[in-house]
Amino acid sequence: MSRFEIERGHDGPARRGRWVSPVGIIETPFLLGPPNIKDVDAVYIVPDHDILTQVSQPTVLVMPTLLSGRSAGEDILSERSPLVAAPSVVGASAVSSEMVTALIREQLHMAGDHDDPSRVVLRLPPIDDMALLGPLVTEAHNIGVRAALLQFDGMLGRRDLNSVIIRSMLPRNWLTIAVGSIEPCLVPLLSYIGIDGFDVSRADEAARRHERLWQNGTECVTSIHDARFCACTACTMATDSAEGDLESVLRGHNIHIYRTVLSEAVHARSRGLLRWLVESMTHVSPGMATFLRRVDRAVYPYIEEFTPTVGPSYLPLIGPESYHAAAVARFRQRLAERYSPPEDKQIVLLLPCSARKPYSESRSHRRFIETIESALQGARSAVAEVVITSPLGVVPRELERLYPAAQYDIPVTGDWDAEEIRIAAEALRTHLSKFSSDVVVVAHTSGGYADVLRAAQDDIDQSIIYTIQGGSATSDEALESLRETLSDVGGLLGLQVSYEGRSDRRRRRPRNALVGETLRATADFQFGPGAGSLLVPDSARLRGRLYATVTCTVEGQQLCSYVGSTGLLSLTLAGARRISSLGNYWVRFDGETLRGGSLFAVAVTDADPLIRPGDEVIVLNTDGEVVGVGRSEMSGREMCEFDNGRAVSIRHKE
Amino acid sequence: MSDVIRDMDRLTEAVSKMSLEARADSIASRRRRNPEIPAAAWTARTVVQGNEGTAIAIVLSTIGCSHARDENGGCTMCSYLLDGTEAPVTADDLVKQFRTAMMRVSDADGPLSVKLYTSGSFLDPEEVPPQARGEILQLISSDSRVQHVVIESRPEFVIEDAVVEVRQALPDVFVEIGMGLESSNDVIRLLCLNKGFTRAEFISAVETARRHGIGTRAYVLLKPPFLTEQEALTDAVETMQDAAEMGVTTVSVNPVNIQRHTLVSQLWSRGAYRPPWLWTVVEALQRARMFLPVGVRIECDPVAGGTHRGAHNCGDCDGAALDAIRRFSLTQDLRTFDGLDCHCRPRWHHVLEHEGASLVVHY
Ligand code: SF4
Ligand SMILES: [Zn+2]
Ligand SMILES: [Zn+2]
Repeated sequence: MSRFEIERGHDGPARRGRWVSPVGIIETPFLLGPPNIKDVDAVYIVPDHDILTQVSQPTVLVMPTLLSGRSAGEDILSERSPLVAAPSVVGASAVSSEMVTALIREQLHMAGDHDDPSRVVLRLPPIDDMALLGPLVTEAHNIGVRAALLQFDGMLGRRDLNSVIIRSMLPRNWLTIAVGSIEPCLVPLLSYIGIDGFDVSRADEAARRHERLWQNGTECVTSIHDARFCACTACTMATDSAEGDLESVLRGHNIHIYRTVLSEAVHARSRGLLRWLVESMTHVSPGMATFLRRVDRAVYPYIEEFTPTVGPSYLPLIGPESYHAAAVARFRQRLAERYSPPEDKQIVLLLPCSARKPYSESRSHRRFIETIESALQGARSAVAEVVITSPLGVVPRELERLYPAAQYDIPVTGDWDAEEIRIAAEALRTHLSKFSSDVVVVAHTSGGYADVLRAAQDDIDQSIIYTIQGGSATSDEALESLRETLSDVGGLLGLQVSYEGRSDRRRRRPRNALVGETLRATADFQFGPGAGSLLVPDSARLRGRLYATVTCTVEGQQLCSYVGSTGLLSLTLAGARRISSLGNYWVRFDGETLRGGSLFAVAVTDADPLIRPGDEVIVLNTDGEVVGVGRSEMSGREMCEFDNGRAVSIRHKE
Repeated sequence: MSDVIRDMDRLTEAVSKMSLEARADSIASRRRRNPEIPAAAWTARTVVQGNEGTAIAIVLSTIGCSHARDENGGCTMCSYLLDGTEAPVTADDLVKQFRTAMMRVSDADGPLSVKLYTSGSFLDPEEVPPQARGEILQLISSDSRVQHVVIESRPEFVIEDAVVEVRQALPDVFVEIGMGLESSNDVIRLLCLNKGFTRAEFISAVETARRHGIGTRAYVLLKPPFLTEQEALTDAVETMQDAAEMGVTTVSVNPVNIQRHTLVSQLWSRGAYRPPWLWTVVEALQRARMFLPVGVRIECDPVAGGTHRGAHNCGDCDGAALDAIRRFSLTQDLRTFDGLDCHCRPRWHHVLEHEGASLVVHY
């Protein structure tokens, strides 16, 4: 049996792994091409009477078609190949549903008859009626098929989008290969959506057109001497030697570009920056930009499902493509769904974001905080500090250390575009609706931030006080205005208290209320509503600093600790037991107790589909007892679908 | 061939349905033609039996091809049916059509070659009533200039009686029956083309004709739908060889052109079909000429050649390629292709080599 083995390291649906078959191993991601392109990782052959005999490289993929019939050497070739494509016909993307079904049924027959159906690759044409494919894919899976070929014509139109959608429908443990006309700039995006193999025959086609491919387009070349500078071996050798077959020089160059771009994608993925690379590639052409937006819209849930909840320490969000990137959109959605404000807030203070993260470590926010404290004399905890920002929308102070709030960086001009305003206004509206209508909203905003508030204000129930008319929020004048406003509002609400003198309920509030609030909000955000009050009850003893570590102990037993560098909670077994009743983020495995530092997918019997790579998860044994906690290495669905690969890195176990 | 396909019926049924759907209501909206005027007629200088002469091609306006009229959808690339007429056409009408057309050559010098087309089968008694068939053959035989006659028919109508009738009416004329073999591969003919007859039926028609000294022209379709450029090339060459072996007297290569209301045009408009490259046509002619017996002529005149709806190359070289193809059809001389080259030729090579791998249509 052949199978796709997944390695650690997710970034969106992109993954690293290998195809392991009895007749060969292919490391993924890989470049695949016809025998006349040197330096590909895998060679494919279309059985044809003329060329079968001339193939010297080891073939990885044999691709017969339905109408050529069987040629002599084909069977021998197929026996030696780790992959054999099921035969189909050209033009299948435009035939009737009935015909598509009939064609795929032929493939299923072929797979069923094959000695090793797991080496058979299903060809799925980019048809519009994609729902049709679901049951056929399931049937193929049951026969043992574990790989698919998807077609890309490179026009970035509906057919290419269909292929992306079809990719999202396939089981995660299938190897997927993109064939057709794939420009180098498309490789990162296809890798991002989970394609493992890339046909580079376009390198040959371009060479025959006398074109050099680049990451950002093509260059017509009549003589290599007059062409753009290139340091690749093919080009330098050609420039040095007087003669040389231009076509083969160009082919060599073009494959070099594919290599470069694929390694760029691999590197970016390993750093959690694949999305950034994909976004940056959209500037190659309007077609690329349109395509990414369509892909985001069409398969967002799929991309989100495999996007880690932790990420790089620095996350550039540069253009409008970032507004709906999974890490960003998910933050907004989770905030809307999972955050609930502490009950005793009486003022909501809206603040602009800062370039430095977390915000509270920036100069501007330090000054805001000083101003709040001086205005309210110790009653800062009555204020809900809410940062307005793009494209995250709003970030409450308690969650400012969470990914991606503490990592993102955006180009700042002060002007917001309509979409940014719409997104932030929507987030603000939702956020404020969670507060009592009695709280006072103090808006310390100008420029784009003020535009956001203006867009949202009709739907805001609370009264809003504006502290600045325009200009900078950090000018002495603005800060003074903020101080005066807070002082006035605080006076009206009776907030200025000296802890020694007064005995009302506010006196019980500890000076470092933010620590408890942060842990509670983080728990809700990470594990779902309700987790905060379970993990951090009023009786909890919290020790430490938010920028370092905070431990949470209840009756002498540690439940969790907050890690400032990630803004996330780590559970102890006791903590895990406390929140296991919520029914979230659990992984059940086949066994009594855990051994070793990892739980592998093969042992997982079931897992919460909410789990994303990077999540803190609770490990349950066969009897449903909490026996471990750790960090997920894959999504819940993958833990179930894969029979290999590391599912959870265990931190604590029974 | 069919060793690969498991459920041929299911596939052919699906194709037949698609073909029928592509045809849809186009038949109902056929023009009502004047039944006394032929659908088309044209003349050209040509070589008739070794001598300079005139060829006249006549397309009779009939009710259309039997195969296209019935519920199986007709051939996937053909909309000749649309050239037919909705109005009933009587035997008298057909004879009048023929007379009208022949007036074009009333002053022409012999020898004459008469090509009698019907958008279907001249030997189909439903399409061309026996009375009309008899009278038209009589008219031809009474014109002493006529030395060569081509009629067209599906093989199922090329039966003993019909062939004998033709032979007796035209005892001294070289008669050829043109039949659309399209491909000698049953899978391709039945599945991709929905042609509805088998290789065996075609062979039997060729033999029936030959027994009575009547020649046959095999129409060979270059690039049926669902074939890659490479497969199309291979299939056309194999078909030409097979046709020669079956005993046909002439092979006529027809590169697909996009005809309205057909499955092929539907694929084409959805970016799932490209008519063949003229390079493929040239290559097929060259290869076939080398393999085929000298006595078997190979002809080709690509309809809509050089346009997007017909066989085409890059645009720069289409004219030269078409010229060479037409010249070759007259001379059968392979040297007409000497020196034919273009910057697009390497691209065509790429298509031949790679289309089969991705099964993405290469343009
Ligand atoms: S190709 Fe010939 S047999 Fe087929 S539908 Fe057209 S006229 Fe009829
Ligand atoms: Zn180079
Ligand atoms: Zn050309």
